Amino acid sequence: MKSADLIPRNALAWIIAAQLLLLLPHVLRLPLWIVLLYGAAFFWRLQIYRGRSAVPNRWLKLLFIGASMAGIAASYGSVIGLEPTVALLLVAFALKLLESVARKDGYVVIFLGFFICITEFLFSQDLLIVIYSAVVVWVLTTALIALHRSAAIDDTGPMRLAAVMLLQAVPLMLVLFFLFPRIGPLWNVPIKTQAAKTGVSDMLRPGDISSLAQSSDVAFRASFAREVPPVSSLYWRGLVMSRIDEGAWRTVSYFETPPAERRAPPVEKTGESLDYSVIIEPTQQQWLYGLRYAEARQGGILQLPDYRLLNPVVLEQEFRYRVRSWPEAALGRDISPWRRRLETQLPEGSNPRTRALAESLYRDTGNDAEYVQRVLALFRQQPFRYTLQPPLLDNNSMDQFLLETRAGFCEHYAYAFAVLMRAVGVPARVVSGYQGGEINPVNGTVIVHQFDAHAWNEVWLEDRGWVRVDPTAAVSPARIEFGLENAMREEGSFLSSSLLSPLRYRGISWINALRLRYDAVTYQWQSWVVGFDGQQQIDVLRGVFGEINARLFVGVMLASFGSMLGLVAASLFLRNRQGRHRDPALRHIRLLQTRLRRIGFDLRPGESPGAMGRRAAERFPGASDDLRAIARLADAALYRPLGSEQRGKMQRSLRRQVRRLRLHPGR
Amino acid sequence: MLIAAINYENNMSYALTFLLATLFVVAVLHTYANLSGLTLHGSGGGSGFPGDLLPFSVRLMGGRQSRYALRVRWRDSSLGAGEAQLDVPPNASTEAQLYARASQRGRFLPGRLLVESSYPLGLLRCWTSVDLALSGIVYPSPQRHPDILGGSDPGQRGRWHPRPGEDEFYGLREYRKGDRPRQVYWKGLARGQSLQSKQYSTYASEDDWLDWDSYPGVPTEQRLSYLCYQCLQLHARRQQYGLRLPGLRLSPSDGAAHRDRVLTALALHGLTQE
Repeated sequence: MKSADLIPRNALAWIIAAQLLLLLPHVLRLPLWIVLLYGAAFFWRLQIYRGRSAVPNRWLKLLFIGASMAGIAASYGSVIGLEPTVALLLVAFALKLLESVARKDGYVVIFLGFFICITEFLFSQDLLIVIYSAVVVWVLTTALIALHRSAAIDDTGPMRLAAVMLLQAVPLMLVLFFLFPRIGPLWNVPIKTQAAKTGVSDMLRPGDISSLAQSSDVAFRASFAREVPPVSSLYWRGLVMSRIDEGAWRTVSYFETPPAERRAPPVEKTGESLDYSVIIEPTQQQWLYGLRYAEARQGGILQLPDYRLLNPVVLEQEFRYRVRSWPEAALGRDISPWRRRLETQLPEGSNPRTRALAESLYRDTGNDAEYVQRVLALFRQQPFRYTLQPPLLDNNSMDQFLLETRAGFCEHYAYAFAVLMRAVGVPARVVSGYQGGEINPVNGTVIVHQFDAHAWNEVWLEDRGWVRVDPTAAVSPARIEFGLENAMREEGSFLSSSLLSPLRYRGISWINALRLRYDAVTYQWQSWVVGFDGQQQIDVLRGVFGEINARLFVGVMLASFGSMLGLVAASLFLRNRQGRHRDPALRHIRLLQTRLRRIGFDLRPGESPGAMGRRAAERFPGASDDLRAIARLADAALYRPLGSEQRGKMQRSLRRQVRRLRLHPGR
Repeated sequence: MLIAAINYENNMSYALTFLLATLFVVAVLHTYANLSGLTLHGSGGGSGFPGDLLPFSVRLMGGRQSRYALRVRWRDSSLGAGEAQLDVPPNASTEAQLYARASQRGRFLPGRLLVESSYPLGLLRCWTSVDLALSGIVYPSPQRHPDILGGSDPGQRGRWHPRPGEDEFYGLREYRKGDRPRQVYWKGLARGQSLQSKQYSTYASEDDWLDWDSYPGVPTEQRLSYLCYQCLQLHARRQQYGLRLPGLRLSPSDGAAHRDRVLTALALHGLTQE
């Protein structure tokens, strides 16, 4: 193999640097052995470079591949799914380095690198990750350029050229990005099997939400078209749970619903409507959050019979959806016998003391609405405590909670309330989602954090349909009015386990201002870049161009590409041209030289304009007088010590002479 | 990558995919600019026998811009491999050495040169094929005539003609001004004879005329090959020789320059001058 076909050493250094940078964001998702494998591969490659060890032979390579496959299968339990696939790619990336000796192997490694860069985006499209990846792309491009250059290791040329080329490519990339039609997935792709599901789950046990309340992660951000409603009225419905199984509330699945009940009963849309869009962080779940009564303003989102929104596929990435809500609309004024039965069911023989309590309370009222008030009054008057650290209950016993411990978080109250309602045949269910949120003064979005997770109830009342009741509000009005942080001020348990969260330091004003500003940037990023979709694309294009048609599309594409490339080409080729000389005399001489060269007169390096003119005079006898005159004028204008006025005169007559000159090829 | 982007509906993947695509487009211009404005000067060529490698050199000048990873090779790849990679610093020049394998007798025209580069990304190759009017001379391949033994044995020579030289005594003649003192026949002078000079001669046979007509009935190329062989033999023996071809006569002489003249005449014999 010729040395010219080998990977230059500076390219090798860039490749290794790029590999390290690419590995870094994946590290926490990978089993440790892959990280160690990278270390070993780098060391081995270094030894190969120093000539101390050999490139692995075919059998050894096969052994490595087999062992890595087995290792991945063992670590992930399968080789199918996104994480094992990415791990496999990363392992291949490390192993490929070992056999990369020739330049063509260098290509493979670098293009694999670009692909791995994309896999990182499947996990996160956070602004910081994207900035980081831009650096990685820069390093990869540098490696690609260095692969074609034989230069010293400290040469910064490839770096600079890579930066220039990428910057030139960015405007064109943006054009493509905004114009490329967004079509749906072509086929099903491996999904993330290992990612933790975050947020509210479809099972609710006492203690579930209080554990969520320790997290300061953002659940979603909502931006309202008009004014943001009062925070205390922001009940983001996510899940409606109508069944109790083994002490846990859970949702009714599609198949448990009889066919006649699978469609949401029509809702009379009354009162003012609210338009807003939500960008939800990946949850690995399907449900979406909205204020009641919510309808999606875009296709592809399902409306379930209990009036909640469901995305047909699991949310693996940030997802943006647009919603319109009618907060005053009554939900489900008519209740079907099946639903009534469903919403009043209680497990046989559970919580006998609670049932007795419910019956005694109900007997005094006789009216469902009044009964609800009685129960809420009970929560208010009895010494119930709202706490993030409730005592454990045996078998999720509501008897124990209501009559003994009397300390719980929202899910305890919602649970107990629903049991109390169902015990006397009032249809009731538990709703979980988020309540409230933080309004970002920078851009007016509502930031909903995981600690805003909440559970409340819906009770069906005659003529009013499903009415929202929040028993937590009865116990701790501050929770609803001012959020969890204020409700837990005395207890000091707010975010007690996440010391690093900037939210803990909300008290320090500049940290808070910084946090809110960053959050606003994140929102812009998510809504314009990460969440950019077909709908937005059409909106933008319509906003800019009015009507959209194919011809316009192509036209914009061609025009933008043409102009951008024209600029790049101009910058590349103009630097190559001979610059204009500042001395006018030299400019005229240059013109003459061009003409002479064109008719076959050889220019000699180091020849003065005068000497050239005299030589040309011999060569072209027909113009010899003129050429001699030019030679004299050129010598005078260039070299004779003259005043500026006289020199100007010389230069002008030189120009006249050059213009007047007629040259004929041949002798 | 685009498929990954579409299937995962991942905007950043779209962005990176498009960035690479446009990088490719931008690379077209950069690759072209790397080659554009390059000045080439070809030289060399020289001469050789069929199958020899004739050296050529190409000087590349890049102007104010630096050029990287240029490759110069023959467009006709059967002529031989080219130079691997050359960089041209700004305002300087680099010389590429190229060798072409000479084929048949005559004026050797290696044809166009291919100057190419896939710098900076290696994804695109920009090339230009330039004609630098490079040429060389290919002599006939020397062949020994089976019957005439090419004068390899001086004893088998035919007639000998005396020619001025220093090898063998030939006779005496009247002293002329300019004769060296060593040449003067001092013994004769001592005997009272007139001042005479010794004459030496180098024997030259008829063979030291490389004659077209020596090989009647032999095809042209074959004849030229025989003559070529003879020429080389005579040159190796440092003899003087002349060349007689139809329409061409080179008077006898010796030395490398003469040999090259003779061989060139053989190489170009019968070929129209272009």
